[in-house]
Amino acid sequence: MSEDPKPRTREETPIKIDYNNVDVAAIMDQIKRAIAARPHPMFEEAPPSPLGPEGMVPPAAAGEGPSGFKARMKRILLRVMRPFAPLVKFLVFPVQQELRQTIVALDQTNRRLDYLFVTVEKELAKLSDAMSRRMDAEIPPLREDVVSLRDYAKLLHNLSHNLVVELTKLKIEEETLKNKVRIMEKDFEFLGRRERALEEEVLK
Amino acid sequence: MKVAFVVQRYGLEINGGAELHCRWVAEHMKKYFEAEVLTTKAFDYITWKNHYPRDEETINGVKVRRFPVTRPRHPERFGRIQNFVFGNEHREEDELRWLDEEGPLAPGLIRYIKEHEADYDYFIFFSYRYYHSYWGIRAVPRKSLLVPTAEKDPVINFGIFKELFLLPRAFIYNSLEERRMIQSASAVEHIPGDVVGMGIDIPEKFSAEAFRRKFSLEGDYIIYIGRIDENKGSHRLFEYFLRYKKETGSTIKLVLTGSTILRIPSHPDLLYLGFLNEEDKFNALNGATLLVMPSFFESLSMVTLEAWALGKPVLANAQCEVLKGQCLRSNGGLYYENYEEFREALALLLATPRLRERLGENGRAYYESNYTWDIVENKYLAILNRLERDKRP
Repeated sequence: MSEDPKPRTREETPIKIDYNNVDVAAIMDQIKRAIAARPHPMFEEAPPSPLGPEGMVPPAAAGEGPSGFKARMKRILLRVMRPFAPLVKFLVFPVQQELRQTIVALDQTNRRLDYLFVTVEKELAKLSDAMSRRMDAEIPPLREDVVSLRDYAKLLHNLSHNLVVELTKLKIEEETLKNKVRIMEKDFEFLGRRERALEEEVLK
Repeated sequence: MKVAFVVQRYGLEINGGAELHCRWVAEHMKKYFEAEVLTTKAFDYITWKNHYPRDEETINGVKVRRFPVTRPRHPERFGRIQNFVFGNEHREEDELRWLDEEGPLAPGLIRYIKEHEADYDYFIFFSYRYYHSYWGIRAVPRKSLLVPTAEKDPVINFGIFKELFLLPRAFIYNSLEERRMIQSASAVEHIPGDVVGMGIDIPEKFSAEAFRRKFSLEGDYIIYIGRIDENKGSHRLFEYFLRYKKETGSTIKLVLTGSTILRIPSHPDLLYLGFLNEEDKFNALNGATLLVMPSFFESLSMVTLEAWALGKPVLANAQCEVLKGQCLRSNGGLYYENYEEFREALALLLATPRLRERLGENGRAYYESNYTWDIVENKYLAILNRLERDKRP
C-alpha cells in the first residue's frame, strides 16, 4: 500500500512505537498528549504573548540611564553586584523562563477554555433555538387538541348531568305509577268484594 | 445430556446479533450433546410478527421448536412506555409492562419450558433483556444458563433484571466489560461464569483481487461492515471520514457494506456496496487497509474478531467500552473518542504499514488464543461439566 500523506495542517508530533512490542495504550497516550499539547486551531495565529522576550524591557545601556543621584546610586549598585551577575543570571533566568512558559501554557489553556465556553454557549443557543422552533411547531396543534378535548369533556359532563336528571325524573314517575297501580289494585279488590256482596243479596 | 438453546429469533436468514451467535453455538455444540433450539416464529425484530409457519423443523442438524408470538410489538406504544421508564421514577409493574411490550410475547414458549423442564438438562438463554429470558429463567432457574449479550444501556439497571441476574446457575459472558457491567448491576460474583464469546469461522480461500475485480475498486480503502445505523455510529463515521479527507487531502476510500437505515452522504470516496455474502465479505476485508468500527453499543463485535482473524488492524470507537477493551487486550487496534483522535489514529495507521502489520499480527494472536471454535466449545463444556459436578452430593 502506498503511504498516505499525513495531515498537513498541523505540526507533526512524532509517535514513538516499539515495533517489537506494540502497546496500544502507550500509542494512544502519546496521541492524546500530542492533541492536548497542540494549540487549538483558532489560537494558532494569535499574536505573541506580551510576556514574551520581545515584550521585556531591555536593561538600560550606559549613558542612557536617568541622571542625578539615583543614576549614580544605580551605577554603584551595579558595579557592586557585577561579581555576582553570573550567579544571578544562573538563578533567575531558568526560573524566569519556566515561569514564562507556564504562564504561556496557562494563557493558552485559558484561551482554549474561553473558546470551549463560547462554543458550548453557541451550541446551547442553537439547541435552544431548535427547541423553541420545535415547540412553536408542535404546541399550537397540541393546544387546539387540548381545547377541543376540554370542550368535549365539558359536553360529556353536561350530558352525564342531564342523564342523571332524566333518570331521576323517570324514577319519580315510576314510583308515582307504582303507587297508582297499587291504589287501582285496592279499588279493584274493593269493587270485587262489593260485587260478591251484591250478588249474595240478589240471590237471597 | 440434552440442552435447549432459547433465543428470541432463529433462522438462516438472520445474519447477526445474539441470534446468529446462538445458532453458531448450537451448531457447534451439537456434536457433544443433544442440542435443541426453543424460539419464536418471529423474523422481524421490530414487530416480532409471526413469519415462520412450521412448529418444528431442523436447521443444519439442530431441531428447532417454534412458538407463536401472541401479540406483535406496537413500536409507538413501546416507544412511549420506554420513554416513560427511562425518564421517570417508576415501579416494577411499569418495567414488566415494558418487558411485555418489548416482547416477543410468546407465552407458549414459557409454558413449554415449564412443562418440559424434566426433558432437558440445561436451558441456555440468549439475551437477558427479552421476554423469553426473563420468564424462561424464572420458570427453570436451577437449570438455566444465561448468555446476557448485554450492552451499555439503561435497561440493565432495571430492578427486574437485578433480580433476574441472581437466578441462573451460570453466566456465559461475551467480554470482560460485559461481566463488569453485570456485576455492577447486581451482586452476581458468587454465580459461576466465564468470558467465552463465540468462535469465528474463516473461509479457506479469500482474495482481495477477486473483490476488487468484482466491484471495480481501485486504490486503498478502509472498510466498515455492519448495519448502517445511528446506534452503530455510522453518522459519526461519515462526518469524521469526510472531514479527515478534507483536512489531509488523503486518497483513502471508505467501503461500507451491510443493510442501511441511514442516508449515506454522496461522496466519490464513500462506496456503499450493499449487503455482501460471506465470500465477498471476507474478500473485501482481506483487501482493506483496516477495519473501522464506529459502533457505540457492542457486546462482542463479531466483525472485529473476523478482521483480527485475517490479520487486519482495527480502528474502533472508544466510547464503546467493549471495543476499547478488546483493542487494549489484543493490542490489535487503535481507538478514538473524538475527531482529533480519529484523525491522528487514522493518519498514523495509514502512514505506518509496519504498525498496521504488527497490530494485525497481535489481533490474529488474540483471535487464535481466545476465539477459535475449539477454545469456545471447550469453555462451554467446562461450564456445563462444572454444573454437573456441583449436582453431585
